Amino acid sequence: MNDFKHAKEEYEATPIPAELEDRVRAGIRQGKANLARRAWSRRLGTVAACFVVMVGVLNLSPTVAAAAADVPVLGSLFQVLTVRSFTDTTPDRTLEVEQPAIQGGGAFAQQVNEEIQKRVDAKTAEGEQMVAEYKEAFLATGGTQEEWEQHNIAVSVTYQIESQTESTVSFLVESNVSFANAYWERTYYNLDLAAGKELTLADVLGEDWVTICNDSIKAQMAGAEDSSVYFAAEQGGFSTVDETTQFYVNEAGDPVVVFPPYTVAPGAVGYVEFTVGR
Amino acid sequence: MSKTRETQLTTYLVENQARFYRLAYSYLNNREEALDAVQTAVCKALEKQDSLKDADAVRTWFYRILVNVCTDLLRQRKRVTLVPPEALETGSYEDPLPEAGSLARRVDALPPEIAAVIRLRFYEELSLQEISAVVNCPLSTVKTRLYTGLKKLRIQLEGEL
Repeated sequence: MNDFKHAKEEYEATPIPAELEDRVRAGIRQGKANLARRAWSRRLGTVAACFVVMVGVLNLSPTVAAAAADVPVLGSLFQVLTVRSFTDTTPDRTLEVEQPAIQGGGAFAQQVNEEIQKRVDAKTAEGEQMVAEYKEAFLATGGTQEEWEQHNIAVSVTYQIESQTESTVSFLVESNVSFANAYWERTYYNLDLAAGKELTLADVLGEDWVTICNDSIKAQMAGAEDSSVYFAAEQGGFSTVDETTQFYVNEAGDPVVVFPPYTVAPGAVGYVEFTVGR
Repeated sequence: MSKTRETQLTTYLVENQARFYRLAYSYLNNREEALDAVQTAVCKALEKQDSLKDADAVRTWFYRILVNVCTDLLRQRKRVTLVPPEALETGSYEDPLPEAGSLARRVDALPPEIAAVIRLRFYEELSLQEISAVVNCPLSTVKTRLYTGLKKLRIQLEGEL
């Protein structure tokens, strides 16, 4: 086997690209984030299920309803609840849906609920179709049904509440297909239920919101540990925020501006968030 | 999984990155794809760290993830529309392949599932038992592939004498 000693040396002489280390670290970050994300939605699911039970009880018993009115969180104008939660497993894929809706909050909330419903249905259908197409291609190129099943393909639509006050709420609806990261999509909802409208960055930051956001984001990009991860403006990176920029309001009440993967930094970085202090 | 296990895992991944890259490169023969494969595999490893029952088996466990990622990429490649070769001839991004005609070159020319066994056995020095866990095949299949591979290599060597 002496021949292999030489072959092994040749094999070990494969040049190692300089960016390998960065890629490995990016993979570690990404994996940790995905793991945390999953743990979070599981916990949220349990909490949401408790709420569903409670709402049921509130509707049945006036005594419990009267008592609940004194509990601060439940006493606010509205609640965000899971209205539909199910996991459907077939040999081909697992479908996980956690659909939120706003209880209370009047006609505006109703309108938002309908939009969420539409989005969840559309995303689920789209995910199912992608899986079906992928499977067809997989089998057509020599994969077997058994191999396919080992992939444990999952389509998920879940949500997460970022913050909630007496009259406002920020939450996101997130859809994902486990084999295609490009399909990872987040939609943020920021609602002012008292006023019956969507919160905008201008509502949170005032008239000068564009300047405030841009200054803060540029300062954060420049001050980052490695500012080269962000695309420069002339490379199509960040230039300015506008009405379509997504954001949510964090627990402290500060807006957090969110950029989808590939918009301001390489896709490996994922969603990029900047907290803009008020 | 506890924090210490996670730290052990990340340390292992960072320390052995060159080995992973080489293995991925031997499958894909393309620098960018090999980098992608390593990153994806590392990401999956972190996500699925709970499925690693025995910390001592981390090497076999991770190689299996990496090999699966590489096989998936190869399969996807078949689906991609191919660019006519003349469009690609203007210089190559590939790193140089091992010296033509050498044993390493010949290993690359073997059918992929056989080459994989040979590489894992002689380059990565895994036991046959470990290889069977990595490529998810019975031990007997691994043995058959190894001997088929060796036989083919020898036949080709003799053919030249």
